[in-house]
Amino acid sequence: LSSQQFSALTEVLFRFLTEPKEVERFLTQLSDFATMNKISLGPLKNIVKSILLVPNGALKRNLSSEQVRADFIALGLSEEKASYFAEQWKLNSPALTRLAVDQTLMINQLIDMEWKFGVTAGSSELEKVGSIFLQLKLVIKKGSQMENVYIELTLPQFYSFLHEMERVKTSLESFS
Amino acid sequence: QLVSALHNLTRHVVYRGLTKPEDILALFPENFHQNLKNLLTKIILENISAWRNEAQASQISLPRLVDMDWRVDIKTSSDSISRMAVPTCLLQLKIQEDAALCGNNPVSALTVELSKETLDTMLEGLGRIRDQLSAVANK
Repeated sequence: LSSQQFSALTEVLFRFLTEPKEVERFLTQLSDFATMNKISLGPLKNIVKSILLVPNGALKRNLSSEQVRADFIALGLSEEKASYFAEQWKLNSPALTRLAVDQTLMINQLIDMEWKFGVTAGSSELEKVGSIFLQLKLVIKKGSQMENVYIELTLPQFYSFLHEMERVKTSLESFS
Repeated sequence: QLVSALHNLTRHVVYRGLTKPEDILALFPENFHQNLKNLLTKIILENISAWRNEAQASQISLPRLVDMDWRVDIKTSSDSISRMAVPTCLLQLKIQEDAALCGNNPVSALTVELSKETLDTMLEGLGRIRDQLSAVANK
Protein backbone atom coordinates (compact mmCIF):
# COMPACT_ATOMS: atom_id res chain seq x y z
CA LEU A 1 0.00 0.00 0.00
CA SER A 2 1.62 3.26 -1.08
CA SER A 3 1.79 6.11 1.36
CA GLN A 4 -0.73 8.14 -0.63
CA GLN A 5 -3.23 5.30 -0.58
CA PHE A 6 -2.49 4.81 3.10
CA SER A 7 -3.23 8.43 3.94
CA ALA A 8 -6.49 8.26 1.98
CA LEU A 9 -7.46 5.10 3.85
CA THR A 10 -6.53 6.66 7.18
CA GLU A 11 -8.72 9.63 6.38
CA VAL A 12 -11.66 7.37 5.68
CA LEU A 13 -11.03 5.49 8.92
CA PHE A 14 -10.90 8.59 11.10
CA ARG A 15 -13.97 10.07 9.51
CA PHE A 16 -15.81 6.94 10.49
CA LEU A 17 -14.40 6.99 14.01
CA THR A 18 -15.51 10.57 14.59
CA GLU A 19 -18.99 9.85 13.24
CA PRO A 20 -19.72 6.25 14.20
CA LYS A 21 -23.32 6.53 13.07
CA GLU A 22 -22.32 6.98 9.42
CA VAL A 23 -21.84 3.26 8.85
CA GLU A 24 -23.26 3.26 5.34
CA ARG A 25 -21.06 6.11 4.23
CA PHE A 26 -18.02 4.36 5.65
CA LEU A 27 -18.81 1.15 3.77
CA THR A 28 -19.40 3.04 0.50
CA GLN A 29 -16.13 4.91 0.90
CA LEU A 30 -14.32 1.64 1.60
CA SER A 31 -15.66 -0.04 -1.53
CA ASP A 32 -14.80 3.09 -3.57
CA PHE A 33 -11.27 2.91 -2.23
CA ALA A 34 -11.07 -0.78 -3.11
CA THR A 35 -12.21 -0.27 -6.72
CA MET A 36 -10.00 2.80 -7.19
CA ASN A 37 -6.91 0.95 -6.07
CA LYS A 38 -7.84 -2.39 -7.50
CA ILE A 39 -7.83 -4.21 -4.17
CA SER A 40 -10.50 -6.74 -3.47
CA LEU A 41 -12.99 -5.65 -0.84
CA GLY A 42 -12.91 -8.78 1.37
CA PRO A 43 -9.29 -8.66 2.51
CA LEU A 44 -9.49 -4.86 2.71
CA LYS A 45 -12.38 -5.15 5.18
CA ASN A 46 -10.39 -7.56 7.30
CA ILE A 47 -7.39 -5.26 7.36
CA VAL A 48 -9.57 -2.31 8.24
CA LYS A 49 -11.20 -4.26 11.07
CA SER A 50 -7.84 -5.02 12.62
CA ILE A 51 -6.67 -1.44 12.12
CA LEU A 52 -9.80 -0.13 13.85
CA LEU A 53 -9.03 -2.23 16.90
CA VAL A 54 -5.94 -0.13 17.60
CA PRO A 55 -7.66 3.27 18.01
CA ASN A 56 -10.49 1.76 20.02
CA GLY A 57 -8.08 0.08 22.42
CA ALA A 58 -6.01 3.26 22.55
CA LEU A 59 -9.07 5.29 23.48
CA LYS A 60 -10.03 2.92 26.25
CA ARG A 61 -6.59 3.08 27.74
CA ASN A 62 -5.98 6.78 27.05
CA LEU A 63 -2.80 6.14 25.07
CA SER A 64 -0.69 9.03 23.87
CA SER A 65 0.12 9.34 20.19
CA GLU A 66 3.65 8.10 20.93
CA GLN A 67 2.26 4.86 22.30
CA VAL A 68 -0.10 4.48 19.32
CA ARG A 69 2.86 4.87 17.00
CA ALA A 70 4.86 2.26 18.94
CA ASP A 71 1.89 -0.12 18.82
CA PHE A 72 1.59 0.16 15.07
CA ILE A 73 5.31 -0.37 14.55
CA ALA A 74 5.11 -3.44 16.75
CA LEU A 75 2.30 -4.68 14.52
CA GLY A 76 4.58 -4.46 11.52
CA LEU A 77 3.65 -1.15 9.90
CA SER A 78 6.40 0.97 8.40
CA GLU A 79 7.68 3.81 10.55
CA GLU A 80 6.51 6.50 8.15
CA LYS A 81 2.96 5.18 8.04
CA ALA A 82 2.86 4.67 11.80
CA SER A 83 3.95 8.28 12.38
CA TYR A 84 1.30 9.52 9.97
CA PHE A 85 -1.37 7.55 11.78
CA ALA A 86 -0.17 8.77 15.16
CA GLU A 87 -0.35 12.37 13.92
CA GLN A 88 -3.92 11.88 12.78
CA TRP A 89 -4.66 10.28 16.10
CA LYS A 90 -3.38 13.30 18.01
CA LEU A 91 -5.54 15.60 15.90
CA ASN A 92 -8.65 13.55 16.35
CA SER A 93 -8.34 12.35 19.91
CA PRO A 94 -10.19 15.23 21.59
CA ALA A 95 -13.20 14.58 19.36
CA LEU A 96 -12.97 10.83 19.90
CA THR A 97 -12.61 11.21 23.66
CA ARG A 98 -15.63 13.49 23.75
CA LEU A 99 -17.64 10.86 21.87
CA ALA A 100 -16.62 8.16 24.31
CA VAL A 101 -17.52 10.31 27.30
CA ASP A 102 -20.91 11.10 25.81
CA GLN A 103 -21.54 7.40 25.44
CA THR A 104 -21.01 6.86 29.15
CA LEU A 105 -23.94 5.65 31.12
CA MET A 106 -26.35 8.35 32.26
CA ILE A 107 -29.26 7.51 34.48
CA ASN A 108 -32.53 9.27 33.67
CA GLN A 109 -30.83 11.93 31.67
CA LEU A 110 -32.60 15.27 31.44
CA ILE A 111 -33.07 16.06 27.77
CA ASP A 112 -35.30 19.08 27.65
CA MET A 113 -37.24 21.46 29.83
CA GLU A 114 -40.25 23.61 28.97
CA TRP A 115 -42.15 25.94 31.22
CA LYS A 116 -45.13 28.19 31.50
CA PHE A 117 -46.43 30.29 34.30
CA GLY A 118 -49.67 32.01 34.90
CA VAL A 119 -52.14 33.18 37.43
CA THR A 120 -54.88 31.08 39.00
CA ALA A 121 -58.01 33.14 38.52
CA GLY A 122 -60.57 31.21 40.48
CA SER A 123 -61.56 27.78 41.65
CA SER A 124 -64.56 25.90 42.94
CA GLU A 125 -63.56 26.77 46.50
CA LEU A 126 -62.47 30.34 46.09
CA GLU A 127 -64.07 32.75 43.71
CA LYS A 128 -61.10 35.04 43.26
CA VAL A 129 -57.64 33.69 43.75
CA GLY A 130 -54.91 35.57 41.88
CA SER A 131 -51.90 33.43 42.81
CA ILE A 132 -49.00 32.73 40.49
CA PHE A 133 -48.02 29.20 39.54
CA LEU A 134 -45.14 27.86 37.53
CA GLN A 135 -45.39 24.65 35.52
CA LEU A 136 -42.35 22.78 34.33
CA LYS A 137 -42.24 19.98 31.81
CA LEU A 138 -39.09 17.87 32.01
CA VAL A 139 -38.28 15.44 29.21
CA ILE A 140 -36.29 12.57 30.66
CA LYS A 141 -34.65 9.67 28.87
CA LYS A 142 -35.49 6.51 30.80
CA GLY A 143 -33.52 3.69 29.23
CA SER A 144 -34.39 4.07 25.58
CA GLN A 145 -37.72 5.85 26.02
CA MET A 146 -38.56 9.46 26.63
CA GLU A 147 -40.78 10.32 29.55
CA ASN A 148 -42.46 13.64 30.20
CA VAL A 149 -42.70 14.78 33.78
CA TYR A 150 -44.97 17.69 34.69
CA ILE A 151 -44.43 19.57 37.91
CA GLU A 152 -46.01 22.60 39.41
CA LEU A 153 -44.11 24.95 41.69
CA THR A 154 -45.12 27.91 43.78
CA LEU A 155 -43.06 31.07 43.54
CA PRO A 156 -41.05 30.54 46.74
CA GLN A 157 -40.30 26.99 45.60
CA PHE A 158 -39.10 28.33 42.27
CA TYR A 159 -36.72 30.79 43.89
CA SER A 160 -35.22 28.17 46.16
CA PHE A 161 -34.93 25.78 43.19
CA LEU A 162 -33.06 28.45 41.25
CA HIS A 163 -30.81 29.10 44.24
CA GLU A 164 -30.01 25.39 44.64
CA MET A 165 -29.24 25.00 40.94
CA GLU A 166 -26.83 27.90 41.10
CA ARG A 167 -25.09 26.18 43.99
CA VAL A 168 -24.83 23.02 41.89
CA LYS A 169 -23.30 24.99 39.06
CA THR A 170 -20.63 26.48 41.33
CA SER A 171 -19.90 23.03 42.65
CA LEU A 172 -19.59 21.53 39.15
CA GLU A 173 -17.40 24.37 38.02
CA SER A 174 -15.00 23.89 40.89
CA PHE A 175 -14.47 20.33 39.71
CA SER A 176 -13.80 20.88 36.03
CA GLN B 1 -79.13 19.96 59.33
CA LEU B 2 -77.42 22.52 61.51
CA VAL B 3 -73.97 21.25 60.55
CA SER B 4 -74.89 21.29 56.90
CA ALA B 5 -76.16 24.85 57.15
CA LEU B 6 -73.02 25.99 58.95
CA HIS B 7 -70.94 24.26 56.32
CA ASN B 8 -72.73 26.04 53.52
CA LEU B 9 -72.34 29.35 55.28
CA THR B 10 -68.61 28.99 55.77
CA ARG B 11 -68.10 27.75 52.23
CA HIS B 12 -69.97 30.72 50.90
CA VAL B 13 -67.90 33.13 52.94
CA VAL B 14 -64.64 31.56 51.84
CA TYR B 15 -65.76 31.42 48.24
CA ARG B 16 -66.76 35.04 48.11
CA GLY B 17 -63.71 36.07 50.05
CA LEU B 18 -65.71 38.18 52.43
CA THR B 19 -63.51 39.82 55.00
CA LYS B 20 -65.61 42.60 56.42
CA PRO B 21 -67.95 41.75 59.33
CA GLU B 22 -70.75 43.78 57.77
CA ASP B 23 -70.76 41.52 54.71
CA ILE B 24 -70.97 38.42 56.81
CA LEU B 25 -73.64 39.89 59.06
CA ALA B 26 -75.66 40.71 55.99
CA LEU B 27 -75.88 37.02 55.18
CA PHE B 28 -77.95 36.17 58.22
CA PRO B 29 -81.73 36.37 57.97
CA GLU B 30 -83.56 39.29 59.59
CA ASN B 31 -84.82 37.73 62.78
CA PHE B 32 -81.65 35.85 63.67
CA HIS B 33 -80.55 36.00 67.27
CA GLN B 34 -78.22 39.02 67.60
CA ASN B 35 -75.57 37.62 69.95
CA LEU B 36 -75.39 34.36 68.07
CA LYS B 37 -74.97 36.25 64.84
CA ASN B 38 -72.06 38.26 66.24
CA LEU B 39 -70.43 35.22 67.77
CA LEU B 40 -70.64 33.27 64.54
CA THR B 41 -69.27 36.18 62.56
CA LYS B 42 -66.38 36.55 64.96
CA ILE B 43 -65.49 32.85 64.72
CA ILE B 44 -65.75 32.87 60.96
CA LEU B 45 -63.52 35.90 60.67
CA GLU B 46 -60.90 34.30 62.86
CA ASN B 47 -60.74 31.20 60.76
CA ILE B 48 -61.19 32.63 57.33
CA SER B 49 -57.55 33.00 56.37
CA ALA B 50 -56.73 29.47 57.53
CA TRP B 51 -59.63 28.14 55.49
CA ARG B 52 -58.57 30.10 52.45
CA ASN B 53 -55.03 28.78 52.65
CA GLU B 54 -56.21 25.26 53.02
CA ALA B 55 -58.54 25.61 50.05
CA GLN B 56 -55.68 26.90 47.97
CA ALA B 57 -53.39 24.11 49.09
CA SER B 58 -55.87 21.43 48.12
CA GLN B 59 -56.72 22.98 44.76
CA ILE B 60 -56.43 20.74 41.77
CA SER B 61 -53.10 21.16 40.13
CA LEU B 62 -50.46 19.25 38.28
CA PRO B 63 -48.24 17.10 40.47
CA ARG B 64 -46.48 19.38 42.90
CA LEU B 65 -42.86 19.59 43.91
CA VAL B 66 -42.54 18.94 47.61
CA ASP B 67 -38.82 18.56 48.06
CA MET B 68 -35.61 18.59 46.14
CA ASP B 69 -32.13 17.23 46.78
CA TRP B 70 -28.95 17.22 44.76
CA ARG B 71 -25.48 15.74 44.70
CA VAL B 72 -22.46 16.16 42.48
CA ASP B 73 -20.54 13.08 41.38
CA ILE B 74 -17.32 12.76 39.43
CA LYS B 75 -17.21 9.96 36.89
CA THR B 76 -13.76 8.46 36.85
CA SER B 77 -14.08 5.59 34.41
CA SER B 78 -16.49 3.69 32.23
CA ASP B 79 -16.42 0.88 29.75
CA SER B 80 -15.70 3.25 26.90
CA ILE B 81 -12.89 5.16 28.62
CA SER B 82 -10.83 3.89 31.48
CA ARG B 83 -9.74 7.20 32.90
CA MET B 84 -11.62 10.46 32.99
CA ALA B 85 -12.78 13.07 35.46
CA VAL B 86 -16.20 14.26 34.39
CA PRO B 87 -18.40 15.95 36.97
CA THR B 88 -22.08 15.27 36.77
CA CYS B 89 -25.08 16.28 38.84
CA LEU B 90 -27.81 14.08 40.26
CA LEU B 91 -31.04 15.81 41.15
CA GLN B 92 -33.77 14.16 43.16
CA LEU B 93 -37.24 15.68 42.98
CA LYS B 94 -39.97 14.57 45.36
CA ILE B 95 -43.26 14.94 43.60
CA GLN B 96 -46.72 14.64 45.04
CA GLU B 97 -49.56 13.69 42.79
CA ASP B 98 -52.78 15.66 42.78
CA ALA B 99 -54.07 15.67 46.33
CA ALA B 100 -57.70 15.15 45.41
CA LEU B 101 -57.14 12.07 43.31
CA CYS B 102 -54.90 9.95 45.50
CA GLY B 103 -56.39 9.08 48.85
CA ASN B 104 -53.13 8.82 50.74
CA ASN B 105 -51.06 11.33 48.73
CA PRO B 106 -48.16 9.16 47.68
CA VAL B 107 -44.96 11.06 47.16
CA SER B 108 -42.81 9.71 44.38
CA ALA B 109 -39.14 10.44 43.99
CA LEU B 110 -37.67 11.10 40.58
CA THR B 111 -33.91 11.08 40.13
CA VAL B 112 -32.57 12.94 37.15
CA GLU B 113 -29.01 13.18 35.94
CA LEU B 114 -27.67 16.36 34.38
CA SER B 115 -24.39 17.01 32.63
CA LYS B 116 -22.74 20.38 33.00
CA GLU B 117 -24.07 21.55 29.64
CA THR B 118 -27.61 20.54 30.53
CA LEU B 119 -27.30 22.35 33.83
CA ASP B 120 -26.08 25.50 32.13
CA THR B 121 -28.94 25.44 29.66
CA MET B 122 -31.38 24.81 32.49
CA LEU B 123 -30.02 27.72 34.49
CA GLU B 124 -30.37 29.95 31.44
CA GLY B 125 -34.01 28.91 31.19
CA LEU B 126 -34.60 29.46 34.90
CA GLY B 127 -32.98 32.89 34.65
CA ARG B 128 -35.35 33.77 31.86
CA ILE B 129 -38.29 32.66 33.99
CA ARG B 130 -37.04 34.89 36.80
CA ASP B 131 -36.75 37.87 34.46
CA GLN B 132 -40.21 37.27 33.08
CA LEU B 133 -41.61 36.97 36.59
CA SER B 134 -40.08 40.26 37.69
CA ALA B 135 -41.32 41.92 34.51
CA VAL B 136 -44.84 40.76 35.33
CA ALA B 137 -44.52 41.79 38.96
CA ASN B 138 -43.32 45.27 38.07
CA LYS B 139 -46.10 46.04 35.63
